[in-house]
Amino acid sequence: MARFIGNMLFIKNKPMKSKQPGISLKKSTTIWLPAVLLFTVPVFAQNLKVAAAANLQSVIKVLGQDFKHKTGIQIEPIVGSSGNLTAQIRNAAPYDLFLSADMSFPQTLFKEGLTAKKPVVYARGSLIICSNQDIGFENWERVLMTGRISKIAIANPAIAPYGKAAEETLKARGVLSDVKSKIVYGESISQVNTYIITGVAEVGFTTQALVKDPANKTTLYWHIIDPKTYAPIEQGMVLLKHAAGNAAAARFYQYMLSPSAKAILKAYGYDVQ
Amino acid sequence: MDLTPIWLTLKLAGITTVLLLAIGLPVAWWLSRGRSLFKIIIEAIITMPLVLPPSVLGFYLLLAFSPQHGPGKWLLRTFDIQFVFSFPGLVLASVIYSMPFMMGPIKSALQQLPPSLSQASHSLGKSRWQTFIHVLVPNIKPSLLTAIVLTFAHTLGEFGVVLMIGGNIPNVTRVASIAVYDAVEQMDYGTANTYSMILFAITFILVISVFIFNRYQLKSPLE
Repeated sequence: MARFIGNMLFIKNKPMKSKQPGISLKKSTTIWLPAVLLFTVPVFAQNLKVAAAANLQSVIKVLGQDFKHKTGIQIEPIVGSSGNLTAQIRNAAPYDLFLSADMSFPQTLFKEGLTAKKPVVYARGSLIICSNQDIGFENWERVLMTGRISKIAIANPAIAPYGKAAEETLKARGVLSDVKSKIVYGESISQVNTYIITGVAEVGFTTQALVKDPANKTTLYWHIIDPKTYAPIEQGMVLLKHAAGNAAAARFYQYMLSPSAKAILKAYGYDVQ
Repeated sequence: MDLTPIWLTLKLAGITTVLLLAIGLPVAWWLSRGRSLFKIIIEAIITMPLVLPPSVLGFYLLLAFSPQHGPGKWLLRTFDIQFVFSFPGLVLASVIYSMPFMMGPIKSALQQLPPSLSQASHSLGKSRWQTFIHVLVPNIKPSLLTAIVLTFAHTLGEFGVVLMIGGNIPNVTRVASIAVYDAVEQMDYGTANTYSMILFAITFILVISVFIFNRYQLKSPLE
């Protein structure tokens, strides 16, 4: 590909070459060389591959920038639902670290011998109810049951911890059976966020990180769900087998537990005591 | 073993195929006659889902169907229809998504029929519509069958659009392809395998029957 583009540039410069061979050769090399480098650099670069749960979508970029600023090491986040990422890791995906949305997926990987260390909790997530219209959250349980709400988005409880927490809350508030027919399931928390922002679902249960994200331009109305109504969302991290002997991976692991990472996570609404 | 995703998929593919047959036949007929710029543009739009990423279609349908603005709001207010997260929504998406598979084979078959066929029918006093139904359609049977089977099979394979606008609701929008994805994410490889095997078998039988049928007709199935 790079060669192809390079060749094309060469051909383009040919008429000049006949006039002033020296200059034009230099000129075409200046175009040619960056083009080649652009396509070959990724082969040599040893970026750290970090599999991150969907709720970390925006905060992982901020963490990555801060980590690069401190160490010069570039991380490459792969964002997906924790279940999907776990399936990929079990099938030999070349990831160095896994930041899950819960403890059970990292625990599974640990038991299967796919990790270098035991999983540790790096943050606790907080569940919110959120909408792009002000639906009156003071007694959201009642609002959900009214005709005003036709769709409630939650992440798939079988694979996404925030979805599981949402279901637990609805159950604890005694409204799950009444609103069950209104529930639509997002493949991950990111999809739930899409449903909320575009308004295809009037309301959804998501992570506080969504409303703390400066990249979000939509005005959102939200309310923190009482943490007593759902099991704590303990987000676990593991260093994977693939990172064995990789000092950079070990550094990022340490960084995730450092005060600077904690400050960033806290700013995005995570509990990091 | 919960087989509802399989039934839902077959239902979706069946309804889509019947609807597309009703839409695709007249449209293909109209497109097969003449090459005005307008027709070319329409044909291009109909063919586009063949190459367009399903996520593009899913994204626009999501925006269009949002009950808060645009067509979605109008539909909800006027007819109380909500397309997103509903089975009719999936049918509509599938109709758009599988249209090229219905229209393509029929159109090219109609174009390959000798013009003398319809001329003879007209001269014997048959109307255009009678000619189409009683003369042209019976002469393109192999292509018609190909179109029907390919449309059905392609709808079975729909994934991206459903993932984006379906909402994964059991019995309503959780089709087999989504159920496979879901089962894999839950590390339930047994269930994933069962659904996959069923889809594999259905698709294989469908495609091979088209090939066998067309072998007797001495035609390439993709014509």
